[in-house]
Amino acid sequence: MSCDNHAEALEVKGLQVAYEQNGRRTTVLNSLDFKLGKGEILVLLGESGSGKSTIAKAVSGMLPPSARIGGGSLRVGAERISDLGKPGIPWERIRGRGIAMLFQDAQSALNPVMKIKDHFKESLLFHGLASPEEAAAISAAMLERLNFKDVRHILECYPFQLSGGMCQRICLALALCLEPAVLIADEPTSALDTVSQKEVLDLLRRLQREMGLTVLLITHDIAVANAVGSRVIVLNKGVIEEEGDTRTVLTRPASAYTRELLAARNRIARPARGLSPAAGKPVLEIVRLSKTFGGKKRVLRQVDLTLNEREILGILGQSGCGKSTLAKCVAGLERPSEGSILLRGAEIGYLKGKARRETSKRIQLVFQDARASLNPGRTALQLVQEPLQYLRIGGKEEREALAAYYLSEVGIADEAQTRRPPQLSTGQCQRIAIARALVLRPDILICDEAVSALDMSVQAQILELLQRLQRQFGFSILMISHDIRVLRAFCHHIAVMSNGSFGERKQESGRLHESRQPHTQLLLKCAGDMEDGLV
Amino acid sequence: MKRRLNSKNPASLIIGLVVLAILAIAILGAPLLAPYDPVAQNAAERLEKPSDKHWLGTDRFGRDILSRTLHGGQTTLLSSLLALCAALAIGLLVGMAAGMFHGSALDHILMRIIDVLLAFPFMVFAMVIAGLFGTGLVHLLLAVVSVWWVSFARLTRSVVLHAKNETSYAAAKVLGASNLAIMRKELLPKAISPVLILATFELGTLILSIAALSFLGLGAQPPAPEWGSMLADGRAHFFQAPHILIGPAAFIVATVLAFNLIGEGLRDRLDPYEKLEL
Repeated sequence: MSCDNHAEALEVKGLQVAYEQNGRRTTVLNSLDFKLGKGEILVLLGESGSGKSTIAKAVSGMLPPSARIGGGSLRVGAERISDLGKPGIPWERIRGRGIAMLFQDAQSALNPVMKIKDHFKESLLFHGLASPEEAAAISAAMLERLNFKDVRHILECYPFQLSGGMCQRICLALALCLEPAVLIADEPTSALDTVSQKEVLDLLRRLQREMGLTVLLITHDIAVANAVGSRVIVLNKGVIEEEGDTRTVLTRPASAYTRELLAARNRIARPARGLSPAAGKPVLEIVRLSKTFGGKKRVLRQVDLTLNEREILGILGQSGCGKSTLAKCVAGLERPSEGSILLRGAEIGYLKGKARRETSKRIQLVFQDARASLNPGRTALQLVQEPLQYLRIGGKEEREALAAYYLSEVGIADEAQTRRPPQLSTGQCQRIAIARALVLRPDILICDEAVSALDMSVQAQILELLQRLQRQFGFSILMISHDIRVLRAFCHHIAVMSNGSFGERKQESGRLHESRQPHTQLLLKCAGDMEDGLV
Repeated sequence: MKRRLNSKNPASLIIGLVVLAILAIAILGAPLLAPYDPVAQNAAERLEKPSDKHWLGTDRFGRDILSRTLHGGQTTLLSSLLALCAALAIGLLVGMAAGMFHGSALDHILMRIIDVLLAFPFMVFAMVIAGLFGTGLVHLLLAVVSVWWVSFARLTRSVVLHAKNETSYAAAKVLGASNLAIMRKELLPKAISPVLILATFELGTLILSIAALSFLGLGAQPPAPEWGSMLADGRAHFFQAPHILIGPAAFIVATVLAFNLIGEGLRDRLDPYEKLEL
């Protein structure tokens, strides 16, 4: 076919997509054009709701039934589809060999009851690229190429025996075995910690150089765009705001929207002013705390940590290092195996029943996924009253007044207070979750990756809100995150956790780079590399 | 392509509800609608074929089959609904308790009881109860309920175990909710819709089982009309007068079908996985 000599691997023209629900039509993409050259990494950068994932789904034929394609043509390698809206497109032929996909959650993209080698075998045999005997050799060679050590062992593993970063690299290997014309990676590193994130991104870049891999990378993270892309498209509400060389766009943005995005990011990156170093009495003392699951899996090993009054303490660590387990132990969701958790000198780690529930008034936890923590059937006002009802605080009117007060404090205005979570944005849900925690006037607020899932601009707003509330009400914050940038800006002190323990005492957040711990240095280096060149 | 054709299509739900409504009117209105006294015997009109006078014919005592079917429906439907509600209540309670205290001794004991009951042939169990306490509708219902709750308990427990992994459960705990409050506000609402869907399917089987046990003579005692015992009565005269069976059999089929259609319609509406669609 003549199309083979095109310089572009992927060409999309006039793509129009709308979603229809209950008779209401929302246009997501309006006449979108873009090209992707062979051997190029193109980044689609946009916040949630920008339509970036819809593009990925539209060009791979995976839109949900509620989507209506108004029009648009697609060319992938030699395949040409003149109207994406027409039924009967041979997607089986395009997916895999034409377009390969990499998803955010690699672990659930793999079949949990199949060994890794069977994943390779299935996909190679399905596309008729190898005999069962050849499949083993091809998969081993591919894994070696992707920096895997101990390939034979990994091929015999099941997905759940491997870490999230490893699973993502396996998905990448699976995709590459089919030698696709284009690899579409939809937020491939958002669920990973900084170290694995960098590993996957470096790998993508190396493969692009060595094999001429063509990648369409979709992300909301400016640092990811900066680390990997040669060209970037900034997408806002289904429209291309700006397109160009990554370095130029991210350092000298032409559009107002891109400038806003970068400013929101820098608003967090700037060390927070007005934070006084904490010098209060200790409010929470964790002494030689250990947690073992199922009698053998040691998640926490002899952890020591002190949180002072009015202090904001960050806990930094990779995924699986045990930081969430620590949060759960402190919040009373898990019982420690050994050691003690002292709240103003009183042991709280092993409480049961009513006594445990009483500590809810002192320690509160805000979850990463605020929406999932809220009952979708109740209004904001009802949700904030829940803890008061649970602990039988106040009368009916008093509860309602308290809830309304705290909701207005977190910036949920009057008319939004009677809305339910499905009608509210993710940022608003997180605000409600914060109000719900604060209504009990706790001494300690634990934020377990509370801003990790949020868009950059919302993240900055929530962090500013937390800072203001902390000054106003004077509680201490235990901020758990894998994001070094957020912690450095937000916290007085940072403690770095690895493999279930703290290698050294907490440090002032401004002096984290002076740490001699190799693990801390590795985290700092990865984060630094990703942001290299950004203002 | 693989999407079920009837998903989101309310046809089955509507048809089921319409059939059920007609049946309910006919059965509940039996005292007004039935042309004859269901137990009045008439030796002159034994085993008559369907006619203008007796739409569904008469049985071996000359009783009007239509009247007996309508009146008998009251017994059958009422007792199955009663049994279902009791089984549902026990099942939800046991399932919630076992799920909430997963891994505890209570959970183990309850689950082993369920295993035993599931392994035991239900009909034999019902006959044992009838043998111990005597025949009669109340004992029949007792037998049915004591076995029927297990499937609801199993389902409730698995829903609860799933819900306990969700953030909302952890959130309620952190906010100081007591176990009772968590069960009531977080777990029960999640369990109720799958359990109700199962219940509509089970109700059909339940009606059949009660009819079957009555057919064996363990349920309602003559001369009170009941669908299962009417079938048993008709059996002896099947070759002379097959029409005796048609009335109760048609009603049983229609009722079971109606409940199954409703169950299917409800499942399509309430299935949490359907909601994931954008």
